[in-house]
This record gives sequence, structure tokens and C-alpha cells, in this order.
Amino acid sequence: MKVRYFFLEQLNLLLMNKFIYLLVLLFLKFNAYSESYVKADDSLIWDSNDQSYTARGDVEFKNDQFIAFSDKMIAKYIEENNEEVFTIVELFENVVIEFKDEVFKGNYAIYTRDNNIIKLIGNVSIKSPTRLLTGYELIADIDNNKRILNSADNDSLVEVLLDDNANN
Amino acid sequence: MINQLSKKFTTILILLLLGLQATIYLYNQKPLYVSFSKKNITVENFSSIVLSNSGITKIGSEKLNKIDDKNIDLIGESYLENDEYKIYGENISINLADEISYSDEAVKVINKMGTLKAEGFKNLDYEGKIFFSGAIEFIINE
Repeated sequence: MKVRYFFLEQLNLLLMNKFIYLLVLLFLKFNAYSESYVKADDSLIWDSNDQSYTARGDVEFKNDQFIAFSDKMIAKYIEENNEEVFTIVELFENVVIEFKDEVFKGNYAIYTRDNNIIKLIGNVSIKSPTRLLTGYELIADIDNNKRILNSADNDSLVEVLLDDNANN
Repeated sequence: MINQLSKKFTTILILLLLGLQATIYLYNQKPLYVSFSKKNITVENFSSIVLSNSGITKIGSEKLNKIDDKNIDLIGESYLENDEYKIYGENISINLADEISYSDEAVKVINKMGTLKAEGFKNLDYEGKIFFSGAIEFIINE
């Protein structure tokens, strides 16, 4: 009887440990995905007159929409309710943007917060689990879940990806 | 007659030269006098208020070392706080005349965008620019 009680107690402790461990993991994961940040290896200049931040050297920028990597970043901001908010983020050289299961690459990118559109220019590629497309210019409309990829000649449209089931 | 005039002229010339030399000597001495008259002033647990381009800035440190009328060093844990930013670091030098503050040591800055950590900074307050150096981590407010 005592042995049975002992094993039940052990099992209970084991389950409790697992449960706490899962809770901690969930908490950490939630925090990791919710955090917005800018990281840079070399320098960052805060220009309050120009209302901009310029970061250099393996720049990493993350917001609630995507995570971006580049050699240089210039982010413009405005003040709203006594807080600074990024409005336009420009990325220069070796630009990589990860958005859900898609990866956009290019020489230059500009993200506009107002319309939630990312525009990439120069040696652009868009990679998803099912396809890899390349071109000169990519316009990723996050809210409407549209991707427009143009070739170097702006008049010739290479492909337009439309998803009617936009859920963003 | 000519000899006497020549002697007088020579004497006057020598006197003038001596006077000139004495003047040059005195002028050369003046900077040295100024240099020796400067005193370094050290204050512990220092805090003060400075009026700059960013408005009123509160500065403080474990120790203040006044180099001269224009330059002060904040020794140990130090801070600069105003409406725009709060800078926390160690061993921050300030040039009051040019409104420049800088440090080569780890710094933490809190502003309206978020919290920034860097390995050093140079604040050109009159230009409204702060340069952060080394590895930067800037956590943005949600």
C-alpha cells in the first residue's frame, strides 16, 4: 500500500513538473515573438531633429509583422501620445525579410507602416515552401496578402500572387 | 659731435630692445600663470542641472571631477536625464561649452521609443544627435 502511494506521489510530481515546464516554455515563446527590437553590430545614430535612427553593421529589425536583416537601416519615426513610433523603415544591402513562411531578399527595401507594404528593389527573390521566384522589384502588401513581382523592365509583369483568403 | 649722437642713439636702441625683451618675457609668462592657477575640483555624490539644447538636463554621478570651466568628468555610475532621454553609464565626460557628452563604457538609454544598450556613446546635444557605438540592442516599446 505504501509503495503504491509512493509511486502515485512520484507520478504526480512528475506530471506537475512537466506542466510547469510547458507553462514556462509557452511564456518564453510568447515573449520572444512579441518583442520588437533593433540590433546592430557597429553603430546606431539617433537624430532627434531629423526624427530618425540609422543603424549600421549586421542590422536586425523586428516588429510584430516580420523580422528583417541588412547591412544598414534608416528608420523614420513620429511622436504619438508621447511615444516614438516607426513610420518608414529603409533597409540597405543584403536585405533579407522573413514574413511567416516566406523569405524576401533584395538590395534595398522600404517598409511603410501606414499601408503595411514592403517594397524591395534590386535582385529580388521571394521564397516560400512551394516556390522560388526572382525579379527586379517586389511589392508585398501584408494586409491584403498580395505579392507583385516585376522584372527589370517595369512594364513587364512577371507574376502576381493573389490570395483571396487574406487573413491579415 | 657725431660720435656722441651715435652713442646716444645706440643707448636708446639698447634700452628699447631691453624693453621689448621684457615685454615679450612678461607675455610669455602669462599663459603659464593661467595654467598654474587652474585647480581640479572633486565632489562626491554629485548632482546638478544643466541648461542645454534638449532643455533642462539633470546630471549626476558618484563623483564629479571638474577639469576646467568647460569640462567635467562624471566618475563612477553616472546619469544624464531630461525630457527626451535618460542616459545611464559610467565615467561620462561632458564639455559644457560645446554641449557634448561622451563615454567609452557601456551605456543604457531610455527614451520614448524604448530601451537601448550600447558599448559607448557621444551625445552632440546642440545637433540633437547621439552616436552609439559597438554592439547595439534597442528594445522597442510595445
